[in-house]
Amino acid sequence: MRVALINLPRLALTPVAALTFAFAPAAQAQDAAQWLARAASAARSLNYVGTIVLQHGARVETSRLIHVADGGQELEKLVSLDGPAREVIRSQGEVRCYYPDAKVIRVEPRTMRNVFPSLSTEQQQSLALYYTFRKAEVARVAGHDAQAYVFEPKDGLRFGHKFWSDIETGLLLKGRLLNERGDIVEQFAFMDIAIGAKIDRDLVKPTWPSMPSDWQMKRGSAGEMAVHDTGWTVTKLPPGFTKITEGYRSLRGKRDPVAHLVFSDGLVAVSVFIEPRSSVPVQSGPLQQGALNVYSMKVDDQMVTALGEVPGATVRQIAASVARR
Amino acid sequence: MNEDISRLMDGDGDADTLDRLCRDRAKSEPIATWVCYHVIGDTLRGSGTPVPGFAARFSAVLASEPTVLAPQRASARPATWAWAAAATVAAVGVVSMTAMSLSDSPVTAVAKAREAATVRAAQVRPQAVPADYLFAHQEYSPATALQGVGPYARAVAAPAGVDQP
Repeated sequence: MRVALINLPRLALTPVAALTFAFAPAAQAQDAAQWLARAASAARSLNYVGTIVLQHGARVETSRLIHVADGGQELEKLVSLDGPAREVIRSQGEVRCYYPDAKVIRVEPRTMRNVFPSLSTEQQQSLALYYTFRKAEVARVAGHDAQAYVFEPKDGLRFGHKFWSDIETGLLLKGRLLNERGDIVEQFAFMDIAIGAKIDRDLVKPTWPSMPSDWQMKRGSAGEMAVHDTGWTVTKLPPGFTKITEGYRSLRGKRDPVAHLVFSDGLVAVSVFIEPRSSVPVQSGPLQQGALNVYSMKVDDQMVTALGEVPGATVRQIAASVARR
Repeated sequence: MNEDISRLMDGDGDADTLDRLCRDRAKSEPIATWVCYHVIGDTLRGSGTPVPGFAARFSAVLASEPTVLAPQRASARPATWAWAAAATVAAVGVVSMTAMSLSDSPVTAVAKAREAATVRAAQVRPQAVPADYLFAHQEYSPATALQGVGPYARAVAAPAGVDQP
């Protein structure tokens, strides 16, 4: 079974896939998609403030997270509690990262995309085909009763995911990514959280309302990605992954625009970046940080980098099969 | 002759070899090779000490000798050389400088140094996720939809891991 799934060609292209669809547990696909949509909606529409711990690889980061939903407008602030008091502020479709230690404000002029309410039917089917979704135990997380859910991968090309969501509101309180041996590769959890309380808007304001004169402002990416056919393709895309978007980005300090392709299996995304080797500060080979795996390699005169929250073999397979169409 | 020098350095040279090399000591090439081998060895062992101002002079030499010091690589080889650790660059640089000061023809010495440097470079792994890539990816990561800016904790984490800021 496992072998058959790994070898399954890309969805919707073959009679085999169509046949498999017929046997895909439709109810499970719907359950998974509904649960994801509820968690995403709760994250957007609720007020909450809490302490969040992110453990990735050997590192642990503790941060204060404050989220205000005010008449359809979201304001969000994350402050590092360990090390330099770095801040991330999201407002008005812009993400600003403040680095007081480096005296830099990094501006990402873009909105966050709401992936889950709009999962395509194909992506819902992918979820059911490549993960077993099931309800697990009820547990307490940060003082709240939480329901655990598991996405167990059916092949070795993706991580397992376990989520704990607040029973009352659906808000995600804890998440864990596991490798095929069941080891935790990354996890985050709220240590404490207040949900639904009225939050003073001052709490989501940046500590530095105007930029100090000796700081620098850096724009990571000039504007939104220009959606465009890049002429690049991934010939050995792992089954279940479909292309979400592709286009060009103008990245800071780069003369040429960088091609960016995004693929998703409905639960995780893998990005592929392609740019001329002459302008890339990237070295060939693998790199891992928690659940994030990166693989870079040369293709002709270009440097290809695939990265995402999937096993190293998956980003390697994707990077190694990037070709011109 | 280079093999003789190498053997001598390893303590394997005999009296005849030593005599022969000493007779040739006035020639610049064997001296350059001798210095070159020692600098490579020192640098790869981490015991070499580049002199002050070395980097600036090396840059100047590099700029004036592009075809010698930064040749085009065959496409099948890993593109690791350019991003090798400072020690590797220093190895090439020290040898280049030494060779150039002693010999009219540094090409051979530099080629040997590059060979040694490539061995070293192959062991150097990338250290940091490019922050621009990570931020651009974050926008599409479903984790962002579930956790808001929570995942950005990784992107702004200090100090190592992500190329900052």
